[in-house]
Amino acid sequence: MYLTIAELVEDAERRQLPVCELMIRQEIERSHEPREAVWEKMGRNLDVMQQAVADGAAGEGVHSTTGLTGGDAVKLRKYRERGRTLSGDVMMQAVQNAMACNEVNAAMGVICATPTAGSSGTIPGILFTLTDRLGLGRDQQIRFLFTAGAFGLIIANNAGIAGATGGCQAEVGSASAMGAAAAVEAAGGTPRQSAEALAIAISNLLGLICDPVAGLVELPCVKRNAIGAGNGLIAADMALAGITNKIPPDEVIGAMDDVGKNLPRKFRETGLGGLADTPTGRRLKESIFPAKKNLSAFRKTESAT
Amino acid sequence: MAVSGDATQHSGRAADDGDGTSSKTANYRSVFDIIGPVMIGPSSSHTAGVVAIGRVVNEVFRDEPETIVVDYYESFAQTHQGHGTDFAIVGGVLGFATDDRRNENSLEIARRRGIHVSFVEKEGDSPVGHPNTAIVSVSNSRRSVQVVGVSIGGGVAQIKRIVVDGFDVRPRGTLPMLLLRGHDSDNQELGEKLRGVCLIGDVRSFGGQDTDERMYEYDLDSPLTQRMVEDVVHGDDRIFYLR
Repeated sequence: MYLTIAELVEDAERRQLPVCELMIRQEIERSHEPREAVWEKMGRNLDVMQQAVADGAAGEGVHSTTGLTGGDAVKLRKYRERGRTLSGDVMMQAVQNAMACNEVNAAMGVICATPTAGSSGTIPGILFTLTDRLGLGRDQQIRFLFTAGAFGLIIANNAGIAGATGGCQAEVGSASAMGAAAAVEAAGGTPRQSAEALAIAISNLLGLICDPVAGLVELPCVKRNAIGAGNGLIAADMALAGITNKIPPDEVIGAMDDVGKNLPRKFRETGLGGLADTPTGRRLKESIFPAKKNLSAFRKTESAT
Repeated sequence: MAVSGDATQHSGRAADDGDGTSSKTANYRSVFDIIGPVMIGPSSSHTAGVVAIGRVVNEVFRDEPETIVVDYYESFAQTHQGHGTDFAIVGGVLGFATDDRRNENSLEIARRRGIHVSFVEKEGDSPVGHPNTAIVSVSNSRRSVQVVGVSIGGGVAQIKRIVVDGFDVRPRGTLPMLLLRGHDSDNQELGEKLRGVCLIGDVRSFGGQDTDERMYEYDLDSPLTQRMVEDVVHGDDRIFYLR
């Protein structure tokens, strides 16, 4: 299996195959499943993403039980209908899709973790926008997900994808980079350009902390997915324009790992730092979990033994 | 427990790392670890990964629990509330799959079955050095099992320790794995049956208390085929298939 971006890119160039094809073959070899089974499984993941993106922006949208998030994807849909967005409709479509999907996640709906649930809006945000923009068929959309997965596996094995270990850069940062790399391939770019897009996308989100208000995957997670999708498209466009990151992708992943390891615990999904530790963040937590000790008779706090 | 956690390495059934490009351990091996799982929100570490830890407890315990105690550390101690972590871990212990909607009602289901469930937010560092650590202790009048699990992100779990029947197993951690309780002859026999299955590293074994049997650890590169599960795992209560 590919453990570095360099190996993946070199193999794709040497064998004259797109990254998605290398990923499909690796999965077949590992799982001993026929190609159709692997393909269909990814197809079902695609269906779940499509449904989440649609549900989050339909009607009045979805709302979480806490009331912290929900309905923003609908606001964007209506705003886009007026036709006067500042950054253009493609970008706002990506943002709407990303937020819709993550609002569904916050409302405990069914999503596909890409790579995590907290970052599950970023890749659908990029993918379904390109579906319209580039006219991608179902097969191409499934290929997009295999490409994203190939790059994501390398990030996950070298740096990690959990906010609790690496901060938000490991979640939305990884998702943004995976989406950027897959976007380049879907647009006809080279494997090397995909790798550059990945490097640019991670570099731009390096150091992003995980600071969920009340410890919930809502604030600021839903909007972070918007920036993940936007950043992914920007990085992909830069790479397609021939811009390189100068710092190679594997070194960027190494930097992300190092930054994550050195983040104080309060910035790694504990809900104790950043936005969670603002006066308003603390007040929201108190209103959602009033007097934690009364909430559950059997829950108790102990010192370490 | 007075049992040594030291593992004995068994050579001769080693496996390489696929194409041998690197000896680095890969925590994530399938594209569906990254694009997937399909799950109910809001956090893959706090729900899907925790169901996986609970399911390991279920597989090892294989009985109706009377009590379930979950110790949470670090990020888990701070944020399990509202993430559905409590429902997920108990759902896993009850044997539910990641996408089983019964997980949402697992605490109620446990209560109706007369199982006493408690959650403890530990203030210190994780004993295994990971912020998403849960220690699940399950018992009834006949036996008890303790499993130390960590949720490493994206719904993927690792198992750091299993205490069962006087054995103190400290596995490498990555799922799937097979545990076999028995003697070296049983290990040889299982090794034969698993010919053709790619293993990660050597088979290791752990000694038990008041027994000359050992617990053998087979780290699998990928899940067993359904046929393998039926041929090798089913009907053999000395084998625990953890996935």
